[in-house]
Amino acid sequence: MIKYLFVYRNPQDDAQPSAEEIQAALEHWGQWIGKYSASGNIVDGGDGLKASGRVIRHGGLISDGPFAESKEVLGGYSVIAARNYEEALQIARECPCLMSEGSIEIRELAGFN
Amino acid sequence: MSGPIQLAEHFFRQQSGQLIATLTRRFGTHNLEVVEDAVQVAFMQALQSWGRRGQPVDPEGWLFRVACNATLDSLRRRQRWQTKIGPALQELQMDESAPGGGLRADFPCESEIDDDRLQLLCLCCHPQLSVESQVAFALRMTCGFSTVEIAKALLSETETMQRRLTRAKETLRNAVDPLSRQDFISGQLPSVLRVVYLIFNEGYNSCDADQSIREDLCEEALRLGGLIARHSAGDTPPTRALMALMVFQSARFAARLQSPNEPVLLPKQDRSRWDRALIGEGVRWLRSAAEGDELSPYHLEAAIAAEHCLAPRFEETPWLRIVERYDLLMQIQPTPIHQLNRAIALAYAHGPQAGLKSLLDINWDDVPRNYFLFDAALGELHRQVGQFELAQHHLRRALSLNPPRAERQWLHSRLAAAKNGCAEPPV
Repeated sequence: MIKYLFVYRNPQDDAQPSAEEIQAALEHWGQWIGKYSASGNIVDGGDGLKASGRVIRHGGLISDGPFAESKEVLGGYSVIAARNYEEALQIARECPCLMSEGSIEIRELAGFN
Repeated sequence: MSGPIQLAEHFFRQQSGQLIATLTRRFGTHNLEVVEDAVQVAFMQALQSWGRRGQPVDPEGWLFRVACNATLDSLRRRQRWQTKIGPALQELQMDESAPGGGLRADFPCESEIDDDRLQLLCLCCHPQLSVESQVAFALRMTCGFSTVEIAKALLSETETMQRRLTRAKETLRNAVDPLSRQDFISGQLPSVLRVVYLIFNEGYNSCDADQSIREDLCEEALRLGGLIARHSAGDTPPTRALMALMVFQSARFAARLQSPNEPVLLPKQDRSRWDRALIGEGVRWLRSAAEGDELSPYHLEAAIAAEHCLAPRFEETPWLRIVERYDLLMQIQPTPIHQLNRAIALAYAHGPQAGLKSLLDINWDDVPRNYFLFDAALGELHRQVGQFELAQHHLRRALSLNPPRAERQWLHSRLAAAKNGCAEPPV
């Protein structure tokens, strides 16, 4: 099995989901994580990320970040085990992140191959 | 530390109401908007984090902690911190990594939550807001409805609703903070009950709104009613009577629909599908509402609903008693709608001529002209007394006023009968 990092990005959207929509999405996430935990594909469910943080650069310059100009915000991550990209994509296709018009960047972890 | 997602139905909606209530009490009504945004931040964070990690052991505490900190962050950014509320709340900042421990001390207990929520509901019914705004604002703040959902439920445009809610917030921001007043709840009780009554009716009678939203409205109204009735300042005979009324109506909710989109009018409803347990509960509420000597319109409306619920068959409806209740109702709350309903009951009790006479006595200046039921009743009673031309005129007009589906079918069948010169009462 190869390990992949799933990086979730959500659209930078002014329209806030309603309480009911949040609950529905959350239940959907629970099903997805449950299904692929049972199949052994989820190595680490990961976590969500708060909206803001700090960025430090060469030279020690620290700023508040991330910067909101981009159309998508980094929302969270998971580590998934799959035989190949094809299987990883198959798992990603069912992920609720895509239902809310977000995207998932899938990257193979270099050291575990 | 965390487990699969297992949330009660409408968990986030209810949490929204509770969190906004609790945090508004702590941070003041002038910070209502900050609190509202903070609750949304907490919800989004829950979605991001719980989705991946699973649900925390104490989801309510988790949300409270995060929403509280988000409020504080936001207030600090607004730099009101030092002057306004900073020192008193310094110790409030909570360790979000603490797994439930250390936070319980701050997390309000059930009765405090009830009190906060009722205070917030009272605030939503602020006298400076129109009744329409009170209803919308209560749905937003105490029931966790989104603007889109409120617009859908109250049959309005989302943008109009957004503006209405924004204006309401502005009004309240500039109003004196009423939460400090001890007698606030008692003083506001009549408007609060009216808002709950309107929310329920909107759900129960709304013509076009989507079925699930309608049920949600009724459910929310019942929850708010229960909240008021549990509170020492809210538990009055009119509150109990309103609960009785809503519970009786709810008992008939399921039987009003044959299949998801086929409503059934009262005479044709399958009474075995009425919820006996709820009817029993309604009777208990009504009995307890009889304590004291106060007679509110809710008492009479509940008593009328009880007569319908307790009649074994439509043909056995005690119309005479219902007319008496409407007589009393007209004395304490003379509205054209009550008079219309009284006339219909009168027609069943004493025949169409009596009903029609009473209907024509209505002061038509006060009648909401676009309410189809007046023309529907006029049309049907004219038909039953054999005045077919007038009958057709009114039935056509009723049909032009966009009645709900079941009523539309009924009106068409009455219109056909009037055209055929048939004066028989419907089977």
